[in-house]
Amino acid sequence: MKKVVIADDSIASARHLEKIITGSGEFEVVAQARNGLEAIQMYRAHHPEIICMDMNMPGMDGITALRTLVALDKEVKVVMVTSLGGVGDKFTEALKLGAKAIVSKPFQPEDLLKALREL
Amino acid sequence: MAVKFFGQYLLDQGAVTTELLLKAVELQDSVNLKFGATAQALNLVTESDVKRIHNAQRVEDALFGDMALKLGILNEEQIGQVLKHQQRSHLRIGEALVQVGALTAGDLPRLLEQFREDQALYTTSHTVIPAGVLHPEVWEFCADLSAKMLLRIVGLQCHVGDCVLVDRLAPGAFVAGVTLAGMVSASYHLAVPDELRNRIARALLLEDDVSGESEEVLEDTVLEFANIVCGNVAAKASQYGKRVEIRPPFALRPGSGGMAVPAECYGLFFPLHLADGGCAELTLFVRR
Repeated sequence: MKKVVIADDSIASARHLEKIITGSGEFEVVAQARNGLEAIQMYRAHHPEIICMDMNMPGMDGITALRTLVALDKEVKVVMVTSLGGVGDKFTEALKLGAKAIVSKPFQPEDLLKALREL
Repeated sequence: MAVKFFGQYLLDQGAVTTELLLKAVELQDSVNLKFGATAQALNLVTESDVKRIHNAQRVEDALFGDMALKLGILNEEQIGQVLKHQQRSHLRIGEALVQVGALTAGDLPRLLEQFREDQALYTTSHTVIPAGVLHPEVWEFCADLSAKMLLRIVGLQCHVGDCVLVDRLAPGAFVAGVTLAGMVSASYHLAVPDELRNRIARALLLEDDVSGESEEVLEDTVLEFANIVCGNVAAKASQYGKRVEIRPPFALRPGSGGMAVPAECYGLFFPLHLADGGCAELTLFVRR
C-alpha cells in the first residue's frame, strides 16, 4: 500500500481525508501534520509516496511548504486539497511549483481517489 | 464539485494537459499586463512614477490606480483609459488554450457550454446589499454560497433572507469566522444552532452519529465548513476580476451582550432559513 501523509490544520478535514484514503484499501495514512512545517517534518520522517496538503493553514501555508518539499525532492508527489482550488492564480501557482494534482473542496470521495491513483 | 475556473475544469475532464494549461497561463501572463505595466505601456506613467507609487503602497494599503490618483500621477480619465485597454486586450484562458494548440477554436464553445452546465449549481442569485457598501457582489457570493454549500455538503435546503444592517453579533451561538483580505477587507461570521452544527459534523466526518464527538471536533467541522464557503467565494470573486484572499478560520462565542461590529465596519446580516425550520445567521463585517 502506498504511504500517505495528510497536512491540514482542520481536524475535521483531516479525518474526512483519512477516512476516504484508508477506506479505499489502497493507501495507508502514516502521519498527519497541522501546518506546512509539520508536513515537511513528516515527509522527512516517513518518506511517504504521497502528501495530501491543504493550502490555507496557519504558520507555514501549503504553497510555501510545497515549494520547500519540491526543493528537497523534485520527485515528491503532492496533491493539494483545498477550498481555494477554484482561484485561477492559486491553482496555476501550485501546478507551476510542482503539485501533481489539485482537488477543490468540496469534493466527491472518488475525485480524491482518482487523483491519488493517477500518481 | 466546487466553484472552478475553466482551466481547472478542462484539466479535470482530461480535455487539456497540465503542460499545455501552464503554457496557456504563461501566454496570458505575457499579454494580460497589470495596471502599472499597462499604464507604462500607454506612456501614462514613467518608471520613476511606478517606483513612487510602489513605495507609497508599502506604507498605505491601496490599489495602484487609487494610489496614482492620490499622488496626482494619473487622473480619473487616464485611469479609465488604462482599465479600458486592459479590458479590450484581455486574453481569456480559453482563447489562450486555442492559441497554444491545446484546443481547437471549434471545440471551445462546446467546452464552455459544458463548463457552464457543470457550474450551474453555483450561479448566484441576487440579494440586495445596502447602498454604499463596497464590492457588493462579494457579499452576495458569501450569502449565496453559504446557502448552496449547506445544500451541497449537508443536503439541507436553505433560503437566504433579506440583508439588514446590524451593529452586533447576537450572543450565545458558536460562530465560525474567516478573515477576507486582498481587494476587500472584511470578516465572515457564521453562527449555527447545535442541530445544524451536528448535521455539518455528520457530513464532514462521514459519520452517522456524532454524539460521542468532543465539542472541539464538532466546532472544527463548522470552521472547516466556513473555510470551504469562503474559499469558494474567493474562486467566484476571481471570475469577476476581484482578488479575495482568505485566512485560516477562527472560532468565536460572543458573550451575553453579543459582540459589537467595529465602528469602521458595516455589519451585514443575512438570515439563512433552513428547510428543517432552523435558522443559521451570517454576519459580515465589511470595512467602510
